[in-house]
Amino acid sequence: MPDDATWRRAAAFVRERARPGDLITFAPSWIDPVGRLHLGEHLSLEDAGRADAARYARVWVLSIRDASSADVAGERPALTSRLDGILVRRYDRTAAVIVEDAARSLPTAQVTGDVASGPQVVLAEVGFTPRRCVQVVPAAGGAVRITFPRFALGSQLVAYAGLADVFTRRDIREPGRLELELAGQVIAARELGVDDGWVRLQARTTPGVAELTVIARAPSPRAHRRQICFAVESRR
Amino acid sequence: MSPAPRRPPATPLQVRLCCLALGLVATFTVLHNQRQVGIARDETVYFAHGSQYAAWWRGVMSGQRELGEASITATFGGPGATDNNREHPPLIKTASGMSEHWLHDRLGLLDELTAYRLPSAVLHGLLVALVAAFASGAWGLLAGVVSALAMLLMPRALFHAGLACFDGPITALWFATLWAYHRALTSPRVAWLAGALFGLALATKHNALLLPLALAPHYLAVSWRAGLRRRLYLPLSFAVLGPLVLVALWPWLWFEPLPHLWQWISFHAHHVHYNFEYLGQNFNAPPFPWHVALVTTALTVPVATLGAATAGVLVLASRTLSARAARSAEAVAERPALLLLLSAAAAMGPFFLRTTPIFGAEKHWEPAMPSLCIAAGVGLVALARGAARALVAWWPARWPALPRSRTETVLCAALAAVVLGSAAVETFHPQPYGLTAYNALAGGAPGAADLGMNRQFWGVAARGALPELARLAAAPDRTTAVYSHDASPAWRRYQALGLVPANLPDAGPELSGIERSELALVVHERHFARHDFMIWQAYGTVAPVFVLRLDGVPLVSVYRRPRPAQAPPQPASPPPQQQPPASPQPQPASPQQPQPASSPR
Repeated sequence: MPDDATWRRAAAFVRERARPGDLITFAPSWIDPVGRLHLGEHLSLEDAGRADAARYARVWVLSIRDASSADVAGERPALTSRLDGILVRRYDRTAAVIVEDAARSLPTAQVTGDVASGPQVVLAEVGFTPRRCVQVVPAAGGAVRITFPRFALGSQLVAYAGLADVFTRRDIREPGRLELELAGQVIAARELGVDDGWVRLQARTTPGVAELTVIARAPSPRAHRRQICFAVESRR
Repeated sequence: MSPAPRRPPATPLQVRLCCLALGLVATFTVLHNQRQVGIARDETVYFAHGSQYAAWWRGVMSGQRELGEASITATFGGPGATDNNREHPPLIKTASGMSEHWLHDRLGLLDELTAYRLPSAVLHGLLVALVAAFASGAWGLLAGVVSALAMLLMPRALFHAGLACFDGPITALWFATLWAYHRALTSPRVAWLAGALFGLALATKHNALLLPLALAPHYLAVSWRAGLRRRLYLPLSFAVLGPLVLVALWPWLWFEPLPHLWQWISFHAHHVHYNFEYLGQNFNAPPFPWHVALVTTALTVPVATLGAATAGVLVLASRTLSARAARSAEAVAERPALLLLLSAAAAMGPFFLRTTPIFGAEKHWEPAMPSLCIAAGVGLVALARGAARALVAWWPARWPALPRSRTETVLCAALAAVVLGSAAVETFHPQPYGLTAYNALAGGAPGAADLGMNRQFWGVAARGALPELARLAAAPDRTTAVYSHDASPAWRRYQALGLVPANLPDAGPELSGIERSELALVVHERHFARHDFMIWQAYGTVAPVFVLRLDGVPLVSVYRRPRPAQAPPQPASPPPQQQPPASPQPQPASPQQPQPASSPR
């Protein structure tokens, strides 16, 4: 196992070469605290709570024990360097262009329905990972509609969602549900089970502007405190 | 099943001295090992109630306290399910409280923490001694010594034996009951001891309720032919003395005993499910995988011990089949191997049901470990003897003769050195973080982290981060509040022990505590990840300033609020417009709903 001196060397190697906007990740996930100890100043809360890594043009992966990162699954590194027990790899890719982000546009949204709390932008635990997301709690058996009247669209709409908070997931086993409605039509929907983690929904869209409604449901009357967290982005 | 030793058997005195020596070594090993072990969350509860129970007994003995229902309820009971820790029987708590009072407060012989933990350490010594006695009686002194050392060299068992909790003690008293029962099969005079020990086990932890599942089938198996009436004294002893001892030691049962017994048992029958990580998944609700007990045992018991135990099981099975074939009823009269098998099955059995709460991994079925260690002792000796036989047979006649007895001794010593030596390395290397100990089969702590096995629990590892916290604290004259996470229940004791400076108070639980704090620690368990995320938001950084590790595996992270102190966290965006009928206004950004002040698990 690499010691702190090795980690310092690997961190210095990355620091010399990293550019603003690069994402730095660590694998396996359990080594993350050590990685953040040495390179945490290069990780913002938004980086840490990203929905996925599609928006990053360059991703650094520092790994031990031949682990790989799901952020760059199937990709080939542009740079590889082994520093004792730490493998440093940089992946260069075409970054997704984010047209609009629901979390940023939340102040413009209209909220209707059976709201128990929220919506608000939080850094939540979903599937034991940090997620910057819009969190809303519908009343049990109810639904909350969050409508963005003029949501700028690209060629696809990508959403992620899951149930936050391990303790409410343990105590209340009923699923939640997320639906994406574009101009009155449901274009994607997904049930959110307590063990599902952070799940992806996506749909093709035509570039332009349209009314987008995100519907968060707690379908069962027993689905109390269902903390539904979601991130929705339109991508070019 | 009970092969005659090849050399003259050891005398009873030799066996007793050997058992005594092994027991003393075990007790002192536990006492030495626990010195650096942090305070477990549950220990803090048992310390307080143990001292309370002990004070009550001293008060009653000295006539300064009345023996009435009100006094007993105020000390041992109450209307709530956990009032005065009434959900656990009092024996070990009371012993810990007495030990602390006499050996620390009055005589000053031990530090406070060691005094509380002494009864558990002594009982572990008893366990090791009795493992030696049991195995020596059935399979010879050599097997007894190896079995006892294998029991001592178990990383998790050694760790639990050093805590003022019940998992080490129940293992000891479970096995003591087994040992006494087995002796009582041939010595009726010992029957009272078996019943009394069963009562002590009941007064230690509810696992003892499973003991009859091991003893009853064994009793029927060995007594059927001989006539059940001949040994009726044994079930009588268990049925009468067991409950009597339990009631005598637990004043809460002195009135309304049946309702109180029911409340005790039903608490555990409906126990809340805690979070535990197993093979990459976090479990906190049934159904649990049926193989948790088997896989966890296979990954936490030293590999060499597992190997020797496998050999032992094969040897014992083969001997049983041979004895049956030869219809040698006398040779298997007391069936010690069957008793050990039933004991392990009773201890582990509930965890195959898939609904039994699991939150402390192997500690729940630790009473199965003596069976495994004795199998290891039998297996190691059988392997050494087999190797000696083969060597003597192969030895060329023209060479000087090879005495078989001495060859056996040398090979046994060599094999024991290898097996127990590797077990010792696997046992002592991970201490004082015994809950993170995984064997070579798992790949140690890093391999277990790769497999997604439970990292730890009870917040014990926080002690390893205390020196760093003290170093990071501001000047001694300035108060620096610390979000102490899972170490919160132990914080005042750490301060009393001088391990945390007085100017580092506990900031309190959850988000409000984090917002008050300047330093924060997180004990890494998968379901505790949310504490990291709350700290990131409050401190505005994801970078810890220190990470305590075992073999590179993170156990505890320490964060420091960047200076100058940042403003309280704000939502990443302002709240949205609300349309009528609007729900309540959005709350300040908070990752989760507030949790109760006591650490959720």
